[in-house]
Amino acid sequence: MRRNTPLITLLTGAALGVILLIASMLVTPSGTPVSYSASDASSASSSPSAPAAASSSSAPATEPSAVPTATSPTHATYAGRVGGGGGSVAVAIHGNQAIAYVCNGSTVEAWMRGTATGGKLVMTGKDGAKLTATYSHRRVAGDVAAHGTDYSFAVHLVNKPSGLYQATAEVRGAKVKAGWIVLPDGSQVGAFESDANSGAPSAVEAPMLDVATGTARAGNLTLYATPVDGFTGSGF
Amino acid sequence: MTAYPGASAPPTRTSSGAVKLVVPCLIGALVALTLGIYGRLHSPTGIAINIAGFSSPGYVKSWLATGAAVLALVQLGSALVMYGKVPRVTAPPWIGDLHKWSGRIAFLLTVPVAIHCLYALGFQDYSTRVLLHSVFGCLFFGAFTVKMLILPKQGLRGWVLPLVGGLVFALLILIWLTSAYWFFSTFGVKL
Repeated sequence: MRRNTPLITLLTGAALGVILLIASMLVTPSGTPVSYSASDASSASSSPSAPAAASSSSAPATEPSAVPTATSPTHATYAGRVGGGGGSVAVAIHGNQAIAYVCNGSTVEAWMRGTATGGKLVMTGKDGAKLTATYSHRRVAGDVAAHGTDYSFAVHLVNKPSGLYQATAEVRGAKVKAGWIVLPDGSQVGAFESDANSGAPSAVEAPMLDVATGTARAGNLTLYATPVDGFTGSGF
Repeated sequence: MTAYPGASAPPTRTSSGAVKLVVPCLIGALVALTLGIYGRLHSPTGIAINIAGFSSPGYVKSWLATGAAVLALVQLGSALVMYGKVPRVTAPPWIGDLHKWSGRIAFLLTVPVAIHCLYALGFQDYSTRVLLHSVFGCLFFGAFTVKMLILPKQGLRGWVLPLVGGLVFALLILIWLTSAYWFFSTFGVKL
């Protein structure tokens, strides 16, 4: 009896682990993109900046993907929910430049810029926002911190109309800037900085972006969104 | 009684103890490898089951890990007392129970953290800290498995349990330093 207690400890821990693993699988939304076959077939397109991406919105799933090499894509956009599901993050990589946006739909949001070299991303933004991650042809995984909130994330390659959008406008002399992350399941999260030039802009939830027209209405102001797309370089 | 069943030659003095370690060590290695391979192959979801009341999963994990690390210090202290290594302190009768239960609770605290790491984040190598943390995390559960499997065995050399126990302790502290300590010093100490 007494001899077996260490084994009971081990098995209890293992059982707890299995239960938590199954529970985690149950809470994970199944809407994450899984179709990598197009990207895995190493496309011969060595001209990734070709404007063919403009037509990709019609058939995103079957479009040749923006992956020139197997391990380190240099022209691609990734998006998905952060760990815990409290927000979304999008990363667009174009050459060795990268733009990222993290947003929880209200106060926590930040634009970041940085470099993508050797499979690693290091990005910074206003008010101490920072993102460090590793990227491959399938996903970007790492940590992002903004407004004192931190997230771990692992997000996957997305195709238009999913991805990252931004809009800027000038209202009574103040620059306003909005950002949206549109996920493959059609859900979106966005925020609206009413004074984007300040060091730590305060943000509110953005009006719904009509992805088809690229517009969003905030009161009597119409915002015209442009994609931030690593494939085409739009927004860089 | 020193003969090892199935051994054709008379076993040497070391082999009778060492043989007992082979299977536990193999199982421990298998545990560590399984965790590492799963963490590497499974596509991280970024999401896992979470505990309410904390500001983010990072804080949940950091506090659970800190709890485990504190209990690991209790483990070290109680083990030193049990082995009579603390001058002028005689082991009280409850020291064994303290050691067992602090160990059990510490281990159970690490399990949800490890599951979140494996399922949501995976085995990663995007920085030295992250790579070390991934390696230590896998080794810890392997070493802990070895410790649990050899604990009931009789006739082990006296230094075996302290060595394995010390390894488990050191790995847990290294895991804590490469995760919770880094996390608190980067993002601040709060719930």
